[in-house]
Amino acid sequence: MKPAWFDYHAPRSVDEALHLLSNAGPDGRVLAGGQSLMPMLNCRIISPSVLVDINRIEELAYLETRPDSLILGALVRHADLLRDPQVRAGWPLLAEATAYVAHPAIRNRGTVCGSVSHNDPAAEQPSVLVTLDGTVLIAGPAGRRELAAGDFLTGMMSNALKPGEMVVGLRYPRPAVGTGAAFVEFARRLGDFALAGAAGTLTMRGGVCEKARITVVGMGGGPFRARDAEAALTGRSLDSTQCKNAFAEAAAKVVAAVDPAEDVHASASYRRHLAGVLTTRALETALARSGGV
Amino acid sequence: MSDKRFVNERAVGSSVLPDEAIPLVEGFGRFLNDIQLPGMYHVAFLRSQHAHARLRSVDASKARELPGVVKALTGKELFGRVEPFRSMPNRFSGGESVQHWLAVDKVRFCGEAICAVVAEDRATAEDACELIEVDYEPLPVVSDPRDGERDEAPLVHDSCPNNYLIKREYERGNVAEAFDKANLVVKRKFRIGRKQALCLEARGCVAAYRESTFVLTVWMSHQLPYVVRHYLAKHIGMHENDVRVIVPHTGGGFGQKASVYPEEFVCAYLALELRRPVKWVEDRLENMVASTHARDQYIELQAAVDKDGHLLALSSDVWVDVGAYSTYLWSAGMEPLQTAGLMPGPYKVPALRYRTRGVATNKTPVGPYRAVGRPSASASLELLLDEAARRLKIDPVELRLRNLIPNEAMPFRNANNLVHDNVNYVPCLKLSTTKGEYARLREEQRQALADGKLRGIGVACFAELTGLGTTTAVGPGTLLQPGRDAVTLRLETSGVLTVAAALPSQGQRIMTAMRQVAADELGINLEDIICLTSDTATAPYGFGTFASRTAVFGSGAVIKAAKELRQRILALGAFLLGVALEEVTVANSAVHTLDRSKSVSLREMAEKSYFSAKDIPEELNPGFEVTSFYDPKRGSFAAGAHLVVVDVDPQTGDVKIIRYVAAEDVGTIINPAVVEGQIIGGIAQGIGEALLEEIVYDDAGQPRTVTLADYLVPSALDIPRIELHHANTPSAALGGFKGCGEGSIIGALGAVTCAVADALSRRGGDIHEFPATPERVLRGLGVLPGGA
Amino acid sequence: MAREQRIKVTVNGRTYDKVVPVRLSLADFIREHLYLTGTHLGCEHGVCGACTVSLNGRSARSCLTLAVQADGAEIVTIEGLRDRDGKRHPMQQAFHEKFALQCGYCTPGMLITAIELLQEKPDPTEQDVREALSGNICRCSGYQAIVEAVLAVARKEFV
Repeated sequence: MKPAWFDYHAPRSVDEALHLLSNAGPDGRVLAGGQSLMPMLNCRIISPSVLVDINRIEELAYLETRPDSLILGALVRHADLLRDPQVRAGWPLLAEATAYVAHPAIRNRGTVCGSVSHNDPAAEQPSVLVTLDGTVLIAGPAGRRELAAGDFLTGMMSNALKPGEMVVGLRYPRPAVGTGAAFVEFARRLGDFALAGAAGTLTMRGGVCEKARITVVGMGGGPFRARDAEAALTGRSLDSTQCKNAFAEAAAKVVAAVDPAEDVHASASYRRHLAGVLTTRALETALARSGGV
Repeated sequence: MSDKRFVNERAVGSSVLPDEAIPLVEGFGRFLNDIQLPGMYHVAFLRSQHAHARLRSVDASKARELPGVVKALTGKELFGRVEPFRSMPNRFSGGESVQHWLAVDKVRFCGEAICAVVAEDRATAEDACELIEVDYEPLPVVSDPRDGERDEAPLVHDSCPNNYLIKREYERGNVAEAFDKANLVVKRKFRIGRKQALCLEARGCVAAYRESTFVLTVWMSHQLPYVVRHYLAKHIGMHENDVRVIVPHTGGGFGQKASVYPEEFVCAYLALELRRPVKWVEDRLENMVASTHARDQYIELQAAVDKDGHLLALSSDVWVDVGAYSTYLWSAGMEPLQTAGLMPGPYKVPALRYRTRGVATNKTPVGPYRAVGRPSASASLELLLDEAARRLKIDPVELRLRNLIPNEAMPFRNANNLVHDNVNYVPCLKLSTTKGEYARLREEQRQALADGKLRGIGVACFAELTGLGTTTAVGPGTLLQPGRDAVTLRLETSGVLTVAAALPSQGQRIMTAMRQVAADELGINLEDIICLTSDTATAPYGFGTFASRTAVFGSGAVIKAAKELRQRILALGAFLLGVALEEVTVANSAVHTLDRSKSVSLREMAEKSYFSAKDIPEELNPGFEVTSFYDPKRGSFAAGAHLVVVDVDPQTGDVKIIRYVAAEDVGTIINPAVVEGQIIGGIAQGIGEALLEEIVYDDAGQPRTVTLADYLVPSALDIPRIELHHANTPSAALGGFKGCGEGSIIGALGAVTCAVADALSRRGGDIHEFPATPERVLRGLGVLPGGA
Repeated sequence: MAREQRIKVTVNGRTYDKVVPVRLSLADFIREHLYLTGTHLGCEHGVCGACTVSLNGRSARSCLTLAVQADGAEIVTIEGLRDRDGKRHPMQQAFHEKFALQCGYCTPGMLITAIELLQEKPDPTEQDVREALSGNICRCSGYQAIVEAVLAVARKEFV
């Protein structure tokens, strides 16, 4: 399983990378961690004629935690998030989800930006970015721009990059005080592609849910943002007598709204069922972690 | 002749550290893909994209023009020059399948090889494959064996009506009467999906012309070097003694590397044509379609049972989806004939009837894989016994105790004509349930269920016939009779011992085991013994490593040869020491007088024997090389009882194994740590069969599980800690040894499937299809519609 | 020409200066150009873990890394685990004495992964060990002996 030929470049700056991508046209690919791209090349599922390896671009190797946000560049690996105590403390949803990404060796090389760009329906990182109201930082021939996660992730394995553009970073707002978060995933084996997953955050004040974010993984397209379920919880009291019903309602809305695909691992109806189960579990855990009723 | 021995510390029975593992742990192993020869070319195969199609044309002209490409070989070019694989004759054959090394007129499964491209490197060969133009005329596909046997089904082979590659009916005892007078008739269906051995190292071959003193030397990741040599010479049209087959370090075999495949033979042909070394390494995508698959069975099973739960009769209908060709050389008969014929297992079955079929379909051929038909046979019966136990309100363990062949009844001839002797079925079950504290487990289960947890307990008992001699066929009706292997023992000029046998290891430490036996038999220090197992040039004839036979055959042949060699050593030693024969023994690599006053080292003896022969009477110097063949005649039954506890998540369908207790009878143990590794490894594969592994095809015969992200084998998180116990009893073979490579996978499939079914039964659910994926579990619980 | 490139790579302490095809994987480079065949290929799509090496101090799948990406990098393979006097790494000794290998094909990746685990978690639980190794497939052993070997090294029974 050897890849077909390609031309290989390893630019040292974003500008150089953009120049090479423009020249390459639609047949060029960014090589970051390579943990999704190289299997496809080895299997000859795709055969791009140009690879632009961004691993030498030092300006992309930043990870900063700020009072209001976390920003990271395109060379930040999944493992870097897990190793950073500030990330674990300030963005626990991100840390929890990242632990589900494959296995240690994959996490050491695979990049967060790469995973978001690739937008595999079963991937964790895209859904976390959506759930945390994150932003994608883009560079292109026309300059720099930003897109909200939901606008960037346009569908299964697709994103809103224009020709010649590349993702250079991500921004995650810091969750508000009183926010509990949970990421739950069900896969056949730990580290496998998720059959389904759910990311949930509940920002609580005085026992009332001020803000809810629920994103479901594995439903066929990009991450599924469960707006109806979020609406059903927002402004609602979630004390111990009420939360069970509230979560059941939210889960039912998720089940009604998702349209999962079938594949060799799971049918659509099983995935739909799992979406409801995992939504409930994520919400229960998020509430418990929110620190108060 | 006397043969007194000192009381030595015996090597057999202790966990001797295996020297053969040292290069592997240090990274200096030599696996097939590690071999590089000067001027070596690389082969890639173009493989069929269609499950069933006529090949109108194969145009490799563009491939040949690619720089770096040396040759593109098609089936048409090979036709008439080499012998294709004709299915092995078997009394129960439905018809003949003929497999060309490279497809000529038709392709019959996705992945069948069409063209072999030879290039300077593998990547270029793959580039060239993409340039080959094939004109396929798709034909109707047979994708289900129950459809495939119908009269109106398309034919995979014109010479096999109803697509039967194998068909057999059998009846012994009065089955109809037993069902008439039964208190209870239990019927059940069982379905086990398609598997593959998934050796971590896939297949491979390096073939070279005159690389050594042989015309053709072939390195092959394979379990049966002599068999390969025989059939390669035959099919290519060479003298057998011009061919040398060497097995390098092998990364797993499990039976998948015991079949004979076209690709390696194509490499040999190319090496002779091009007079350059030729290498082919099977990559993982190829391996998923080109190496044999296993299982893929539908079983309908009925048992007639009396009011106390005794089996009166067993009747089964078995369909095996055996794929597109009868694999060479085990034939399509392996799974169908074994599953039906060995179903009684360790239980007394007075009357037996079965109808079994191996139906050809347009899928990868099915070949032998660890325990072949026995896991499905056992699991289907164990699930049936549990259902009988539920309906009769008898505890499942008690029911089994009533039906297991007890030691007092042995030798016991069962309705499948197998004679059980020297084996501990009941002691194994009692040991596993005692160590597992079965009564307490049931109590904990009651409590767990009351707490809303879905807990299940499964028990499975198996009989495993190992080390088969010539009176017991590996596959009923086959003309191929492995049953006798040879070992050569030779003292070298420096007095060290070489043990040679054609029994290559894939990790089961055969060399270490044979050295341990030889050390005890001959009184030679372990460090003075080496074992060669991998080369037809240095080992005497042996069938190879499969069917859990090496402990019996290798050790037995060592014992036989050692008897003769020991006498020769003692005779010469006595002569050199100037004492009577009755006054000497051999220990610690030297001949000693019994009073230990005098001794002569084997080194000194060997040097004298080889270099100063004139000083020794001829009759005392017949040479220190002895070859003995060993045929144990019958097989040696091994046994086990596995006890498994699972927790099922009723929301996701996830199954977690929370306790695993195994008690096995593996006869006299040579190396306990090695045996433990074999047993646990087999359990892991059984857990994979029960819960995770499945090769899926669509109705067009297209494989849907194509990578390791699709075909799921257990990881370290999927296998619990195994509590292993032994209730061993020696076999009747030389040394009392038994095989242990395959039994445990049988116990694992049975016990895990039963545990899952037991959990589901607590909520009125059931499951008949395996692997018990989370989705099937939820369907079995009625949480999702459809049943399982 | 963009199809070949010169790279300088340090492997097991020795620096190599080679020209390689750009599409050559790091695994194939190590195995076929440097003749260090201890690193194995089991799938070439990153799942089985047999090809795992240490790349700049972190475990990585050498089948998913291009050789040209390793220009300037430091790599450790199974052959580099012995010390300068040829004494085996404690993890290797533990694997040997605990019978934690059978066919030996997964062993290179297992060793690299296990050593990294103990560097990050010197006192792991059995669950920690199984989780860390869950990306390395072993088809022979059922993992029990491997887990015991790693825990034994953690307990300093092998140094």
